[in-house]
Amino acid sequence: MSVSEQTKVGQNYVDGLRERFGAAILETEWQTADQVTVTVKLGSLPDVVEWLYYQQGGWLSVLFGNDERPLNGHFAVYYVLSMEGLVKSWVVVRALVEEHRPEFPSVTPRVPAAVWGEREIRDMYGLVPVGLPDERRLVLPDDWPEDLHPLRKDAMAYNQRPAPTTDDETYTFVNEASGSTRDVPLGPLHITSDEPGHFRLFVDGEDIVDADYRMFYVHRGMEKLAETRMGYDEVTFLSDRVCGICGFTHSVAYSSAVENALGLAVPARAQAIRSVFLEVERLHSHLLNLGLASHFVGFDTGFMQFFRVREKAMTMAELLTGARKTYGMNLIGGVRRDIMKDERTRTLKLVAELRAETTQLIDMLLSTPNLRERTAGVGVLSKQVARDYSPVGPLVRASGFKRDVRDLHAYAGYGSLPFDVHTEDSCDVLGRVLVRAREFFDSLAIIEHALDNLPAGPVLLEGFHYQPHRFALGFAEAPRGEDIHWAMTGDNQKLYRWRCRAPTYANWPPLRYMLRGNTVSDAPLIVASIDPCYSCTDRVTLVDVKKRKSTTVPYKEIERYGRERKNSPLK
Amino acid sequence: MLKLFKIIADAGEATAKYPFAPFPVSPGFRGKPELNAAQCIACAACTTACPANALTMGNDTADGTRTWQLNLGRCIFCGRCEEVCPTHAIVLTPEFELAVANKADLLQKATFRLQQCEQCGQPFAPAKEIGYVMDLLRQSGVAVDEARRAEFASCPACKRKATVTRDAVSQHLSQEAEQ
Repeated sequence: MSVSEQTKVGQNYVDGLRERFGAAILETEWQTADQVTVTVKLGSLPDVVEWLYYQQGGWLSVLFGNDERPLNGHFAVYYVLSMEGLVKSWVVVRALVEEHRPEFPSVTPRVPAAVWGEREIRDMYGLVPVGLPDERRLVLPDDWPEDLHPLRKDAMAYNQRPAPTTDDETYTFVNEASGSTRDVPLGPLHITSDEPGHFRLFVDGEDIVDADYRMFYVHRGMEKLAETRMGYDEVTFLSDRVCGICGFTHSVAYSSAVENALGLAVPARAQAIRSVFLEVERLHSHLLNLGLASHFVGFDTGFMQFFRVREKAMTMAELLTGARKTYGMNLIGGVRRDIMKDERTRTLKLVAELRAETTQLIDMLLSTPNLRERTAGVGVLSKQVARDYSPVGPLVRASGFKRDVRDLHAYAGYGSLPFDVHTEDSCDVLGRVLVRAREFFDSLAIIEHALDNLPAGPVLLEGFHYQPHRFALGFAEAPRGEDIHWAMTGDNQKLYRWRCRAPTYANWPPLRYMLRGNTVSDAPLIVASIDPCYSCTDRVTLVDVKKRKSTTVPYKEIERYGRERKNSPLK
Repeated sequence: MLKLFKIIADAGEATAKYPFAPFPVSPGFRGKPELNAAQCIACAACTTACPANALTMGNDTADGTRTWQLNLGRCIFCGRCEEVCPTHAIVLTPEFELAVANKADLLQKATFRLQQCEQCGQPFAPAKEIGYVMDLLRQSGVAVDEARRAEFASCPACKRKATVTRDAVSQHLSQEAEQ
């Protein structure tokens, strides 16, 4: 897309790069007024990303590979930086990797936030990040063939996979403890979300010395599916299903990625309606997490009350979109359903009820001594770790950083809606609870304001032309942090590449630092505090380093211990 | 503690009586799609739009039939079928109780007759689609009577052939157009 010189936001970063790295900057291309893709020489990749990240206030939102051999004969790696210094914009650093030499210099030793992305690029494309300290697989199972890289264009069909060869896991969990510890496996299902993930806690008595974990037991291959089986306009419905809670946010992020790539101007009314739906999603998600916070400190009555009130938010979603979840409301170019007078009136009534009832509940929750006792000072995410790993959502905001894409890179209708970015400096579980509680009331205010000031006009842009091989970023702030999507259109009305990063992907890597120094009974609480987008660990293995003993504890038992803190299963 | 008791007392009974009483859903709720086969012209717009491939269409040329099928196990209740249907034959109902004991019960089918070309005898389109086209023309003021059905019931290849033959006989426009 041609972006005129005057409207370019972030030109200062490009100028800075040219001045500092000179000939290493090969090409710059603007996708939208505030999105620029800078192609750099492969060898300068770590220097460029590090400079943007630490010297210019950049945060690493996502990184991914792309098999561009059919387009230009090379593989490519993309590092997406959200620039949050004086000028707010997006800078995507791209480098080409030669086919006969499938390796690139790892950025992780300079910017730790790159670790998961680089491990995933190695799994999916077989490009080796040279110098990456962690050489384990991230996404692929242990018995997956060495030379099969699913996202390569010539690799495999989306609906096939090699037959599993073994039931045994060979994954090694990393323990950085200096002394001896005991192993506590927490998983294969997580405690809050009833979703699979395997945690290994290394404990000394009751204290967690280190922790490691493994996810991706339920990797669904959605990116491959979208590229091969679906049309670009159908992927909005697939992206709705990325998450069981913040699906609409993914769908907005995906739609806006394609809209940005094709240069479509979405009507103002559609944008405002998207904001309303996004906030409805935040309402029920935050109530869910506040309920779980009550549950994990042993306050089950509070949990029940939050879930009772949450039902009103679910009704609101059903009323506005026709479904409690997976709203399916987005198309490329706008939304499918308008908000009529009757729906508006009933929604405003529900907003008023939610405000009154939740005020009472939060008041009650915060005056429960047990909550403060169990959450203050627990699961601390230090500012330094937060800065190094680019976490998102209430997690990073409770560590004192004002990061919220609604504010930084206004999308949908957020440019004209009333809300604050709430932060806390306590860096602990309590801080995250408080941030969520305040954001809940902002969401109510946003819905009211948006419904009272809906712009007139159409809700869907029609009659645009699809163009292949255009790409851009789309993003939206989900309740647990930002969703980032990068979409490149391809031939036959299919996507060439779709990269979808859910917020929890950015929040897992710093989790080990949050677990360190806490007790085993705090682990479920800490994991729940990032509001992970997968769920409950149903059993836990505890490994005692001193006694060299490994115990597997049923999930129910560790959850009971987390709440009652009596009769330790370790003894 | 007293606050909590008050909240609980105020809340009353939150549980619905469902399944012993009907559970009302909001207007505009997207539940089970229902096909009105009498209204359907088997044009396949819904099967093209369906993102989940829950709707499929299959032709049996030997039999001269086209079968529309909905697999409720794949349906995501997005309602794209309803949006694209030219005859409003498929609508999403408020019905949400879709559990079945037998997987085959999730399939719904409707079979339509294919139109055989009046010239070559090959099936080329659903018969009801021909009727729909004639109705559309009548609606827009073109006089189309039943006697001309044969003209519409010819496949594109035969139509082309007929045109070439006609134009070879006379370079003039057809009588009808001259009038």
